[in-house]
Amino acid sequence: MHLIKQFSLNFLLITLIVLLWQSTAAAHGVDANTRQFLLANQGVAIGPFLYIGAKHMVTGYDHLLFLLGVIFFLFNTRDIIRYVSLFTLGHSLTLFFGVLTNVSVNAYLIDAIIGLSIVYKGFDNLGGFQRVFSHQPNTQAAVLIFGLFHGLGLATKLQEFGLPQEDLWKNLLAFNIGVELGQFFALLFILLALNIWRKFNSFYSFSVLTNTLLMSAGLILFGYQMAGFILMV
Amino acid sequence: MQMKKTNPPVQSLKVLIISSISAVLLAFFVLIAIVGPAEYAIDPTGIGKALGLTVLAKPVENISKAVVTCPAGDLTSHWQDVVMITLPANSELEYKFYIQEQEEMTYAWSSEGAALYFDFHGEPAGNTTGYFKSYQEATDSQAKGTLLAPFSGVHGWYWKNENLKPVTVTLKTKGKYRIKGLI
Repeated sequence: MHLIKQFSLNFLLITLIVLLWQSTAAAHGVDANTRQFLLANQGVAIGPFLYIGAKHMVTGYDHLLFLLGVIFFLFNTRDIIRYVSLFTLGHSLTLFFGVLTNVSVNAYLIDAIIGLSIVYKGFDNLGGFQRVFSHQPNTQAAVLIFGLFHGLGLATKLQEFGLPQEDLWKNLLAFNIGVELGQFFALLFILLALNIWRKFNSFYSFSVLTNTLLMSAGLILFGYQMAGFILMV
Repeated sequence: MQMKKTNPPVQSLKVLIISSISAVLLAFFVLIAIVGPAEYAIDPTGIGKALGLTVLAKPVENISKAVVTCPAGDLTSHWQDVVMITLPANSELEYKFYIQEQEEMTYAWSSEGAALYFDFHGEPAGNTTGYFKSYQEATDSQAKGTLLAPFSGVHGWYWKNENLKPVTVTLKTKGKYRIKGLI
């Protein structure tokens, strides 16, 4: 009975990964309707920007994979809140700084770095740095620093649309709050799934496999974005 | 089962090497066989073609609807909004505005000579029956005027391009409205 439960749970996880995978084509940047809205929009639009921010996060598999890596071995609520807050602080800073000062980074390069952040976290979750370099890099600093890169990614995507300068910060704030709402919503589901899985021994026996897959997913994103960079720029 | 681990378990060097190599190999395989063909039409193994993935990478720019806002220049200075909407050959689309009852919208659009069938119409807000009121229905390459909205709701144009070439409509508007955009 226990074995069946484990099997069905693993099956569920694999299905989830496949589903995530299938959304790959649509998830880079924004979809066609959003694109049209952003291009045509003038002035302050709090509701739409909240929604676009939230949707970007919920459908942004790169951000979600990184968060999954971050909270994979976080067991108590305080730790989760601390690390997620650091991530939020990081990406909010660069999102605002990037858009307001018009600093733009190539979208492919920044997404490639976001891919690497996932590889980093997967390797970290295997204890790789301690084993290979006999040194554990500060995990909180890492989350903050990678948060900064994720924020630059968000900023770059918004800047592609040449947003109207007037009252820009209002739209930006709405987008940012939307991102946090989306992140919170997505985290609830990830945590729920993780907490159920942690009740089974398979969480521990599969943690190596899961983090290997996480590294692999990060490498795929990295390769995908680098190929885009080389071909399109 | 250990419930209160705060640090991730440190795996042995052997496990680390195996898992790192597996991650790289899996990523490489997925990139070469699936992502490359589907995203960029790069398909060295032929697996992408066998799976029918390469069709995804064909450029779709020329058949997609496009809308671009114009920079405000001298010509556009007395208009509030100017959009250029591209209708691919043999296609149709709608561009709409939210307008309140008794509010006015002044408009002028032109397709630079290419004849388009169009229906300028409005749908009352909250109406689910599919009812719409037509203001102007014709085949022409331009139209202008002022709409006094008979009811609150969504008002705008349906255009149909039956030409063999894409047609770009430049639509200029001013008045009291909110852009809904392409439908």
